[in-house]
Amino acid sequence: MLKIVNLHARIGETEILKGLTLELGAGKVHAIMGPNGSGKSTLASILAGRDEYEVTEGSITFEGVDLLELDATERAVAGIFLAFQYPVEIPGVSNINFLRTAINSIREQREEGPLSGKDFLAKVKACAQLVELDGKLRDRSVNEGFSGGEKKRNEIFQMAMLEPKLAILDETDSGLDIDALRIVSHGVNTMRDPNRSFLVITHYQRLLDHIVPDHVHVLAGGRIVHSGGKELALELEKKGYDWILDAQSEKA
Amino acid sequence: MMETTVTPATALAERVAEAVNQAGSCSVIDARQSLGKAALESLEYPTTRNERWKYTRVAKLRDLHPASASSRSNTPPVLDEFNAHRLTFVDGQFQGGEIVNESGAFIGPLSKAAQLQDDRLQALDQDYFADNEWFAALQAAAPQDGACILIPDGQRTERPILVHHHLTAGNVVAQPQHVMVVGENAYTEVILWTTCDDQATGLMNGALTAYVAKHGHLSLEIVQDEQGSSHHIAHQQFRQAESSRLTVRTATARAHWLRNDLHIHQGGQHGHSTFHGCYLPSGNTFVDHHTRIDHAEPDGHSDELYKGLAADTATAVFNGKIMVHKDAQRIEAYQRNANLLLGERSGVYSKPELEIYADDVRCSHGCTIGQFDAEALFYLRSRGMTETKARNLMVQAFLSEVLDGFRPEIQQHVEQVYAERLGWN
Repeated sequence: MLKIVNLHARIGETEILKGLTLELGAGKVHAIMGPNGSGKSTLASILAGRDEYEVTEGSITFEGVDLLELDATERAVAGIFLAFQYPVEIPGVSNINFLRTAINSIREQREEGPLSGKDFLAKVKACAQLVELDGKLRDRSVNEGFSGGEKKRNEIFQMAMLEPKLAILDETDSGLDIDALRIVSHGVNTMRDPNRSFLVITHYQRLLDHIVPDHVHVLAGGRIVHSGGKELALELEKKGYDWILDAQSEKA
Repeated sequence: MMETTVTPATALAERVAEAVNQAGSCSVIDARQSLGKAALESLEYPTTRNERWKYTRVAKLRDLHPASASSRSNTPPVLDEFNAHRLTFVDGQFQGGEIVNESGAFIGPLSKAAQLQDDRLQALDQDYFADNEWFAALQAAAPQDGACILIPDGQRTERPILVHHHLTAGNVVAQPQHVMVVGENAYTEVILWTTCDDQATGLMNGALTAYVAKHGHLSLEIVQDEQGSSHHIAHQQFRQAESSRLTVRTATARAHWLRNDLHIHQGGQHGHSTFHGCYLPSGNTFVDHHTRIDHAEPDGHSDELYKGLAADTATAVFNGKIMVHKDAQRIEAYQRNANLLLGERSGVYSKPELEIYADDVRCSHGCTIGQFDAEALFYLRSRGMTETKARNLMVQAFLSEVLDGFRPEIQQHVEQVYAERLGWN
């Protein structure tokens, strides 16, 4: 589904990704862990189409399409969704109006007719239930005055509404208490589907207790330096990253 | 022997007076006209050295040579489907509409009201601008026909009154005078809508004078949707009696060069004034809002909110003065002006002015000038919105605080004009 080969990227003069290679199959959950500053959020931003980063080498293909040729809007239309680490507050735009505009904009670009008001509201109701988002939050301005947990639940709510093929969760667990973590994970697990992949970026193993990944990768120094199964997360939690980094430097 | 020199400004005043007289003038209060004429002799033509005109250039306007209208072309339709009491004016002349003159209520052209010699027209006798502002003096010296709305004590109008003024093509000058008097415990809603022909190059120099009596309520929505490249200067003044309520919402939807001078005088205790406005000049256009509220008596409340965007190389000006008079205690006066710059060469000049001569008041003001939040834009786009849709939504969101206060028909129209003008449809 997603194939990243030898990706090099920089912001300004600083090179952040230095030859990252990663492949995601359909229906799989991949977790990316790694120390601070290793390039995890950069990878998420580049996949979603943020302009500030310059890709200097390598390729990203999504379902056979060159992703780097698509802008942020087109990637969303292609089925990529990024759950933001810091969701943006947009005063004056109600959550509902925002989603209706987004969904119908996507449908228009896919040359589908707009969703009927009735279908839209039914979907809102179902998806809001999934992450226990109450009516007040649905009608308020996008993320305005939301708590950290509410913002993250709102991200998962949007994900459920947009039904992406590839969802990237950028440190969705940061700032979540245990209840919010449970709600968010439940939302994600319900969304798991043979045709949908997840890229879960996280610092901590605790999220992966709830969203159990098929694969775990360690990103360090701008490259994937180690990959393994779900048990790798536990090992990292216990032993830290040093043993992998040390092994890397020995190899080099 | 005395030698008189004719300054360019005097010459312009003479040309305008002549054009107005030819087209048809409508003077109701002689004293006001004399005041204007006298003021024109003593006042200097505004220049950017004058603080109130620092960013508002009228030098070019001085060379205007008014022409008579080539034809009274059809006025563009305004809120077609909307059920309103309509009055239409073209170039300062009454064009048609529904005239009401019964049970003390008058709704119709000022020229007709003048024939009836209604005492309430004395409201025009007090003029805040005519002796100190050159263009207001110009209007007072040669006024033309406009809407006259007189609502007697205790009456409520059933339908909103829609006053439409249209300026035709060419170097036409129009100086309409609108008058509104809302009696004690009376209520009325008025929409004042101005349009200009897309070939208009003249001057719209109109005045609006309103008085709201004790416990009365005037709700006014002003929509300025003007094509062409004319200049528009509006002199709007409101006097409020005790416990009266005034709401003025101004949406400058489209204008080439426009200055709104708005003055509110709370002359009684417990006055309540809301004045909101929005603007979005683009291309090389110019919009200027100068407002002033005088809290002359205690316990008054005012809420001022102006929001706007400037695109391309356009310029917007906001100047808001709050004057709390001596011993006008327990005033609550709030002012806010927020701006977004859309163009690298667009400009906004914003200046709050507070003068407070009472010691027990609550006043606040805030001015902001910022840019589109790039992160918000990316957020919207990452949800599948095209850049156009995302920007549109953000403009709408930014202005919603102001536009939500208008009736939905107007809100929709203004939002659509903004989207159209920015090429975001």
